[in-house]
This record gives sequence, C-alpha cells and structure tokens, in this order.
Amino acid sequence: MAPRGDESMAPREQQIYARWLQAGTRIGLGLLVTTFTIYALALLEPLVSHQRLAELWTLPVDRYIAATSGPTGWNWLRFLGKGDYLNFVGIALLSLVTVACYARLLAALLRDGLPLQAAVAALQIAVLLAAALY
Amino acid sequence: MEWWIWPLALFAVSFAIGVVAVLAGIGGGVLFVPIVSGFFPFHLDFVRAAGLLLALTGALSAGPALLRGGLASVRLALPLGLVGSVTSVVGALVGLALPTDAVQVALGATILAIAAVMWRAGKADNPVPRPADALGSALRMHGIYHDPALRQDVRWHAQRTPGGIVAFAGIGMLAGMFGLGAGWANVPVLNLLMGLPLKLSVGTSGFLLSVIDTSAVWIYLNRGAVLPMLVVPSIVGVMLGAKIGARLLGLAPAAIVRRIVLTLLLIAGARALLKGVGI
Repeated sequence: MAPRGDESMAPREQQIYARWLQAGTRIGLGLLVTTFTIYALALLEPLVSHQRLAELWTLPVDRYIAATSGPTGWNWLRFLGKGDYLNFVGIALLSLVTVACYARLLAALLRDGLPLQAAVAALQIAVLLAAALY
Repeated sequence: MEWWIWPLALFAVSFAIGVVAVLAGIGGGVLFVPIVSGFFPFHLDFVRAAGLLLALTGALSAGPALLRGGLASVRLALPLGLVGSVTSVVGALVGLALPTDAVQVALGATILAIAAVMWRAGKADNPVPRPADALGSALRMHGIYHDPALRQDVRWHAQRTPGGIVAFAGIGMLAGMFGLGAGWANVPVLNLLMGLPLKLSVGTSGFLLSVIDTSAVWIYLNRGAVLPMLVVPSIVGVMLGAKIGARLLGLAPAAIVRRIVLTLLLIAGARALLKGVGI
C-alpha cells in the first residue's frame, strides 16, 4: 500500500475535532500570554499585589481565598478588571476547548450513524460541564 | 527575597523539565509537581493546579497533529476518557479535602512507585495481536494509521477493553488527586494491557490527557487554586523547553536521559515523602 498524506488515515469526525482543537488552543494560548503580560507588567492593578501574593502562596487554597477575599467558582468573571483575574479568560477558554470539541464531535458522530459513540460523547460533555459548574 | 525571583526560577525549572520530558518521552507534570512542591515555597494546592494546566496545555497543543495523522484515536479515547475524567474529578475533590501532609506523603509514595514502574516496565512496538473483545468491537475501537518509519499502514484494534477501562479509572483518580498528568501510566496500559501499537498508545495518551485533566482542572479552578503567576511561567517554560528537547532528540543518549529522569523522580519523591512527614 502506498504511503499516504497525514490527512487520509483519521476518520472524518477526528479531522473535525482536530480543526476545532487547533483553533481553540491557539486562541486560548494567545489570550493567556497577552493577559499575563498585562498582569506581570502591572498594566492593570491586580486584586492581590505581586508582593502580597508572595506572602500568601504558601497557604492552602481555602486560607488564601479567605485572606484575599478572592473569588471562587465563576465569580472571577466579576473581577476581570483586575490584572490577576484577567488571566482566567485564557485559562477558562483552554479548559473549555475540550467541551466545544466534544460538542462538535457529537454532531459528527450522530450524522455518521454512530449512536453508541455519540452517547459516550454526550456523557463526556455532561461530566465536563458538571465539573465546570460544580 | 524579591517576589519576581520565584516565577523566574519556576520558568527556568519548567524549561529544564520541558527539555528532559521530551527527551524521556514522558509528560512534564510527573516531574513538575513533585519537584516544584518539594523545592519551591508554593502550597501544594496551587502546584497541583499548575501541574494539571501544564499537562492540559501540552496535550491540547500536540492534539491536532496527532489526530490528523491518525496517531491518536478519538474512538479509542472516548470510553477511556469518560471513565478517567469522572475519577479525576473525584480525585481532585479528595485531594483538596485531605490534609496537605497526607497528600504530600501519598504524592511521594506515588512518585517513587512511578519511578519503579518506569524502571521495570517494558514496551512493545507492535504487540502480538489477540482477538478484539466484545466491548471494544461494539465501540468500534479499531483503526489504521500510516507509520512513516515502517513505510506501511498499521491496523490496530483494542484488546481487554474492560481491563483498560478499570485501569483508566485508577489513572484518572491519581491525575486529579496529585495533578500529575498521566502519560506515565496511559502508555503502558494502552500498549501492554490493551495491545495497541506503541506509537498509537503514545499519541492517544496525549489526547486522553486533554480530556481527563480538563475535568480535574475545573475543580481546582472553581476552588480558587489557580494562580496565574505560577501557571503561566510554568506553561511557557515547559513549552519552550519541549521545543529545545525536540531538537536534541536525535543527539541525546536515551540511556542517560532515562537515568536522569529516574534520579529526578527518586529525589523528588523522597523529598515529597519527607516533607509530608515534617522532615
């Protein structure tokens, strides 16, 4: 059998997944680096100053949150004006890429008549969303 | 000490981890968490979250090329990732609920066990084919990829799928609890237990990390355990180090790299263990 190009071996749904994954990851990493530059250079005031952060990062997370009145859950969305929590946009996006890819995968699997695989993909989306919203 | 020294040191250490991890063919998380928690002032909660994000970002970045080339299989990963992500959530919740010293001791013991597994574990480029099992067949866990080194297409199918699912339940638990990523365990399970070719096992392991670690990351993120000052220098350091490591891949002697990694794991594991018992 003749050697083939990279694209020929993977099933269609996998090619689609790869496209979505590449786009989401690039955007997420770009945002992460950009927002961290803003934070590290103190272009936007952080909720916890760099110096104070160095005094508190030895604490367990619960005590850190209590000491800084920092947000938990999705409440970081209310702190996007702060340099440190602005970084969460890129972090959250990177953590949501897989959910978006699975949602697209689910549609492709259903279209290709693979109900069992589609059911597993749907369960995976449910688990990821449950973790994100816990 | 000035605050910026620590992120800078973290970047340097992460860079070195990135180089060594690529040369050794392991994920960076398994080195990152014990080394950084053992030798930096950051609390283990933040280090575990950074370790997971590190592994996640690496897996997301490598994923598209692996998927397109057929060296990772979504169909293979679907059931394994589902089980692993459920248990990684449980692992993260347990890890955050337990006392830090207990987690530190367990981390040290786990790292030492990983070193032993890496020391003893074999590998099979193309395992002896056995019949596909019923569950693997029902889930269509089979396929074909082109191996440029062999200049031929390689057909594969999953074997012992129920055993693989059980193993991934354990892997997910450890990944979530310790923030380790899990490439060190994924590859032997896929290759030796499920009878999949080594290249497919390595590629699918990376893809599985992106699914399993995502679930656990959300638990740490929602608890407030993600500190960008730790996460971003680590991610950038490891990614840059991995690029250098990839260039050195043909030059570095594999046996020496393997010894370096095992030594690092032994030191980091022992350090975590001793820190956990207050020494």
